[in-house]
Amino acid sequence: MPAKPSFDPALIARGSAAEAATFARGPAAREQASRIPESWHRFRFPQSLYRYVALLTVLAFIAYAVDRLNIDLERLPGILGRIATTLGQRYFPPNIEHIARADYLHSVLETMQMSYLATVFGIALAIPLAWLASFNQTPSRRIGYGLARLIIMGCRSVHEMIWTILLVAVLGFGMLPGTLALMLFCIGFAGKLFTEAIEAIRPGPVEAIRATGGNRLQVFVFAVLPQVRVAWTGISIYTWDVVFRAATVVGFFGAGGMGWYLRESVQRIASHDVAAILLSIIIVVVVAELFSAWLRRRVAAAIA
Amino acid sequence: MNGPAVDVRAAAIAAGRRRGRALRSLTYLAVFGAVLWSIQVIMIADTDWARLAASSAGKTLASFLEFDYRLLPELVDPTIDTALMATLATLAGLLLAIPVAWLGAANISPLGRSSYVVGRFLMTVSRSVHEIVWGLIFVSAVGLGALAGVLAMGVRSVGFISKIIAEAIEDVQPGPIEAIRAVGGTRFQVLWYGILPQIVPVVLGTMIFEWDINIRRSTIMGLVGAGGLGLVFFRQMAMLNYGGVATVILAVLCLIILGEIVSYYARKAVI
Amino acid sequence: MTIALEVKNLRAGYAGREILKGVSFQVDADDFFAIIGPSGAGKSTLIRCVNRLVEPTGGQVLFHGVDLLKLDQARLREARRNIGMIFQEFNLIERLSVMDNVLTGRLGYTGTLRSLMRMFTAEDIRQALALLDRVGLGEYVDKRADRLSGGQRQRVGIARALIQNPRLLLVDEPTSSLDPKISREVMGLIREIAREFHIPVLCNIHDVELATEFCTHVIGLQDGVKKFEGQPGELNAQALHEIYAMEVL
Repeated sequence: MPAKPSFDPALIARGSAAEAATFARGPAAREQASRIPESWHRFRFPQSLYRYVALLTVLAFIAYAVDRLNIDLERLPGILGRIATTLGQRYFPPNIEHIARADYLHSVLETMQMSYLATVFGIALAIPLAWLASFNQTPSRRIGYGLARLIIMGCRSVHEMIWTILLVAVLGFGMLPGTLALMLFCIGFAGKLFTEAIEAIRPGPVEAIRATGGNRLQVFVFAVLPQVRVAWTGISIYTWDVVFRAATVVGFFGAGGMGWYLRESVQRIASHDVAAILLSIIIVVVVAELFSAWLRRRVAAAIA
Repeated sequence: MNGPAVDVRAAAIAAGRRRGRALRSLTYLAVFGAVLWSIQVIMIADTDWARLAASSAGKTLASFLEFDYRLLPELVDPTIDTALMATLATLAGLLLAIPVAWLGAANISPLGRSSYVVGRFLMTVSRSVHEIVWGLIFVSAVGLGALAGVLAMGVRSVGFISKIIAEAIEDVQPGPIEAIRAVGGTRFQVLWYGILPQIVPVVLGTMIFEWDINIRRSTIMGLVGAGGLGLVFFRQMAMLNYGGVATVILAVLCLIILGEIVSYYARKAVI
Repeated sequence: MTIALEVKNLRAGYAGREILKGVSFQVDADDFFAIIGPSGAGKSTLIRCVNRLVEPTGGQVLFHGVDLLKLDQARLREARRNIGMIFQEFNLIERLSVMDNVLTGRLGYTGTLRSLMRMFTAEDIRQALALLDRVGLGEYVDKRADRLSGGQRQRVGIARALIQNPRLLLVDEPTSSLDPKISREVMGLIREIAREFHIPVLCNIHDVELATEFCTHVIGLQDGVKKFEGQPGELNAQALHEIYAMEVL
C-alpha cells in the first residue's frame, strides 16, 4: 500500500470516500495530491511577506518625506484645537457689512462675467484642439496631433493661479489677465475631457460619412459631433462650474473679481472681514454647483 | 392618407417646430448677449488698452522667453520635494477620505440620513474651498511651511476621493457580502472581504488621478512657504527674474509629464 | 436518525406583506430536501430564514435542537459557521484567487487580526487543497475567481461551503445561472459529497426534473404555504398542479 497523502483527519474520519476517489484516479493524482500541500505552504509564506514589506516601504517612505520636507509633526496634535480657536475667536462673527457693499457685490458680478467669458472662449478653442488631439479623428497625424496634445497638456499642467500671476505680470492688474488665465485653464481642462469623449465614439458613423466621400471636416461635423454632443454639453457645464470656482480666487493675485477683496482684507489682518468674504465665496460656489448640476440634468434629459 | 386630419397634424407639428426653433434662437441670443456684455465689461470698460500699448507688456512677455538655464541644477531638489509633497498630500487625502466616505455612502452610513447628509456636506465643502484658501487656513494653524501645504492639498483632495469611494461603496454587489455573513463572519470581516476587494481598483485609480492633480496644486502652495518648485517660482517672481520663472514652469511641465507616465503604468498594474 | 433541522411554523414578511405563512418540516441527517414552487412562493426567503440572512417574524428554527431565532449575534455567527451556503450567483470575491475564496469559508473560525492579514492555519490550507481537488479544481488553485466559468465558480462555492465542515447545507438555486449539462454535474457533485459526509441538504430549485432526480424529499411551496411534502416519486401531475396553480382570479 503506497503512502497516504496527508489529508485533514476530520475529512478522513467522515468518510474514506474522498480518499478512495483520489486513489481511484490513479498514481498521478496521488502524486499531485501529496505534492500540493507542501509546495503551497512554501509558496504561501512569501506572499504575506511581500505584503509586510510593501507596508513597511510605504511607512519608510512617509518617514523620509516628512523628514526631508522639514515637516514638524509636533504641530499636529493641537491642530484641531487651534483651528477651532481661529474660527471661533478670530473669524467669528463674520463681518457681513463688509460684503454687503455695492462695490463688493459688483465684484461678484464681475467674477461671474469673467468665468462666463473665459468658459465660452475656452470651449470654443478647446473644440478644434480636441479634434486635433484625438487619436482616432485627428486630421493631421504628424503635426497637428502632437501640437494639439502639447497645447492641451501645457494648459492643463500649469495651475490656473500661476497663469494668473504670469498674466498679471505682463498685462498689469484687471479683469483681462484673469479672464485670459481662466481661458487657458479651460482649454486644458475641457480639452482633455473633450478628447477622451471623441476617442470613445463608435467608428460606424465615421465610416459611413467617409464612404459617401466626405472630407475630414464633414466627418467631424456629421459623424463625430452628434455622438459627443451629450457628453460635451455636460462637460461644458461642469467646466464652467470649475472655472467659476477658480474665478472667485484669481482676484487674490490682482486679476479682478471677489478674490481681490480677500487679499486686501488678509493683508489688513481683518479676520472678520476675511471670514465674511470666505463665507460669501463658499455660498456663491455652492449655489453655482447646484445650478450646474441642475442644468446638466435638464440638458441631458432634453438632448438624449 | 389625405384630408383635413393630416393637415391638422402637419400644422401642429410645424407649429411645434417653430416653437422649438424660437426657443433655441432665444437661448442662443441670450448666450450671445451675455458674451457681448461680458466683453464690454471686461475688455472694453475695465482694460486700459492705451496704457497696455504704452507699457512694457511686450518686453515683459519677451523676457519670459529668455530661459535662465543657470537655474536648472538648482531645480532638482525642489522637484523632488514637490513630488514628495504631492504624494504625502494624496495619502493624507485618502486617510481623511475614508471616514467621510463612510458617512457619505447611503448604504453603510452609521446614522442613516443625518450622517449621510453630513458626509456629503463635508465632501462639498472640501471641493468648494480653493486650495489657496485652505492654505491660508492651515498656515494660521500650523505656521508656514510644507505641513500647511500638505494639509491644505490633502483636505482639498478629500472631496473627490471620498465622493468616488462612497459611490463605489454604494454600487457594491450584495452577493459577496451575503456570502461572508452566511459563513459566520463578523461585521469587520464582511467589510474586509465583502466590500473592500470590490472597491480597491476604483480607489487606487482615483488616488493615482488625484496625485497627478496634486502635483499641479503643490506649485501654488509655494504661497504658504511650502517649498518645492512653488517656492522657487514665487522667489523668482519676486526677483522679477522672468527668465527664471519660465525655467521653473518648464521644470513643472517635465514633472507632470513624468507623473503622467508613472500613473499610466501604475493604472495598468492596478486594473 | 438524528434530526438535523426542524422548522416549526415559520413566518416571514415585512410591513404589509407576509411571504411565509407558517411552514413546518423536518430534515434528517441523510436527507436531500428539494423545495419547489412558482416564483414568489417564498422559496428563497425560506432558505435565508434558516440562517437568518432574512429575519423571520415568527416560528422556530431548531438546528440540532437549538432555536436559531433566539440566538444573539455572537451565537448566531457560531451557528452560521456550521451551516454552509451555496448561492445562485456564486457570490465569490471576484478579485481573490480560488484558494483565497475557499479559505473565506473558515472566517467564522478565524480571529479578526488574522483574517485581516489573510493568515489562515496550515490545517485550513491543507483542507482547502483537498476540497479543491475533490471538486475537480486542483489545477485552478491560484487563478483569480473572475477568470473562471460559471460551473467552475459554483464548484468553488461548493468547496467554500464544505471547508466549514458544515452540519447543514443550504443551497439557493445552484443551477439557475448554469447551462443544463453543467447543472447536472453540479447537482451530482453536491449530492455525492452530501452523501459521503452525511450532510443534510436543503435545496431551493425551480427545475422540477432536476429536483426529483437528485433529492430524497420534496417540499412544494405556493404563496408562502406548504402545499406538498413527500418523496419525489409521489410528485404526480395532480400534486404539481396544486403547487403551481396560480390564483389568477
